[in-house]
Amino acid sequence: MATSSNDLPIVGDSFRVGYRFQRYWDTPMANAFFCGELGAGIFLISAFADYKIGMLVGLLVTCILKTWFHLSHMGVPLKSWRAILRPDRSWISRGLMSIGFYAVFGFAYLGLTMLGLAESMGIPEALVSLTKGLAVLSALVVATYQGFAMSHSTAIALWNTGAMPISSLVYALAAGAMVTLVLGWNGFLADNLPLRGALVTISLMLLVAVVITLLSLLHAAHHGSPGGRKSVELLTKTFYSQWFYGITCGVGIALPALLLAAAGGSYAAVLISAAGVLAGYYSFRVLIFKAGLFEPIMSFRP
Amino acid sequence: MARYGMVFDLKRCIGCNACVVGCKQENSLPDSVLFTRTLSEEYGVFPAVNRVYIPTLCNHCEDAPCEKVCPSSATYTRDDGIVMVDPDKCIGCGSCAVACPYDQRNEMHADLFKDGLFGTGELTPFEEQGYARFTPGMVTKCDFCSGRVDQGLDPACVVTCPTDARIFGDLDDPDSKPSKLIRERKGRPPLPEKNTRPKVFYVE
Repeated sequence: MATSSNDLPIVGDSFRVGYRFQRYWDTPMANAFFCGELGAGIFLISAFADYKIGMLVGLLVTCILKTWFHLSHMGVPLKSWRAILRPDRSWISRGLMSIGFYAVFGFAYLGLTMLGLAESMGIPEALVSLTKGLAVLSALVVATYQGFAMSHSTAIALWNTGAMPISSLVYALAAGAMVTLVLGWNGFLADNLPLRGALVTISLMLLVAVVITLLSLLHAAHHGSPGGRKSVELLTKTFYSQWFYGITCGVGIALPALLLAAAGGSYAAVLISAAGVLAGYYSFRVLIFKAGLFEPIMSFRP
Repeated sequence: MARYGMVFDLKRCIGCNACVVGCKQENSLPDSVLFTRTLSEEYGVFPAVNRVYIPTLCNHCEDAPCEKVCPSSATYTRDDGIVMVDPDKCIGCGSCAVACPYDQRNEMHADLFKDGLFGTGELTPFEEQGYARFTPGMVTKCDFCSGRVDQGLDPACVVTCPTDARIFGDLDDPDSKPSKLIRERKGRPPLPEKNTRPKVFYVE
């Protein structure tokens, strides 16, 4: 009795033995993950550049859009608060708590600095820095916990790899860097050309990191189990290959990398690159859900 | 305390799907929601071709991944080993569904309860009394017919099976029928490499 075989078909909901697509986490969840990581990435890069408008945009993207898409996914949205109850074992609970900390410390820091509350209330500089540090720490968890939540699922071999949380982080930072560049190009970055150049270089390096992470993810899934191999085939050879190569790799990585390397000083190039990175990142998020497969529980095929 | 489990005798299963119908009826399941399925597979090359039927349901794992990831404590294990879902606590996030290697979770979309089995938008008295145990939007699964088990009865799929291909009982009792079958015919769990320690076994 074989346990599973890579030659078995994908059978959908039929009463046959074979691989089954996971459809429990679909586009609304992909939207929520995308917005959560994008917002956290914008916040982290803007915090690095000390760009408060960027930090505010990052907070709003996470707190409003991510929350909205999560609630639209939930079967019983009015009971969603219960998701916070098990941080000892669930990455969903840990993530929800980190979003809470991120929102509290992030908005507190922006309130203290942008609205001048720190001065008017006589709050010491060390406390303001501590607030920023805690917000950054929480944002780091927000940018990675979704990858951990997915990588802990042994059921879906494509997700069950340590590269998943790393992919969340590098994609979040790459998209965050591009959006920060677009937002600040004619603002604070116009007066700080070395920082602008550094952010372009960081973006390029992050795109290289994205390539390495994607290759690691596909390699781990391919060599992990027959289900992982089948998922990698879906992404690289069959159903989803045109989307994966066209949008995720072509528009999302190759095009922005070439544009940034050739014309990193041009706003138009940065704008097109940012749009490309966001499109590629979003397609990655959707495809990684679409290509997730459950393995057949057993097979008698030789 | 008993530790309930089930054995599927693959030599006896004829793929009639009476268990599937019995389960749907016992649990008043809405359209497209199934707690058990009997999968089929053909293998071999003509003329040496064979077809096998493989019944599936929740494996009530000792180390249930669905319970570990549940953020709201809705999934829990009873003292007798039956893994349950509390409809009052489930938030329908689906994290249990993507954690179950056996794809045995079911989303109870709110629309299912509105349309009714006949798609007319009206519920029959049978549906009205049955749907009361579910919260629309929750994610649920087989509970070994825990209500019947509490009364000393076997699950509905077991009593419906015309060939005794499903054998239910206490796995801790060495003299129980499932324990003997597992021991004598080398019963094996599904996907053992997932390390979930299922309480459902297959014998050939």
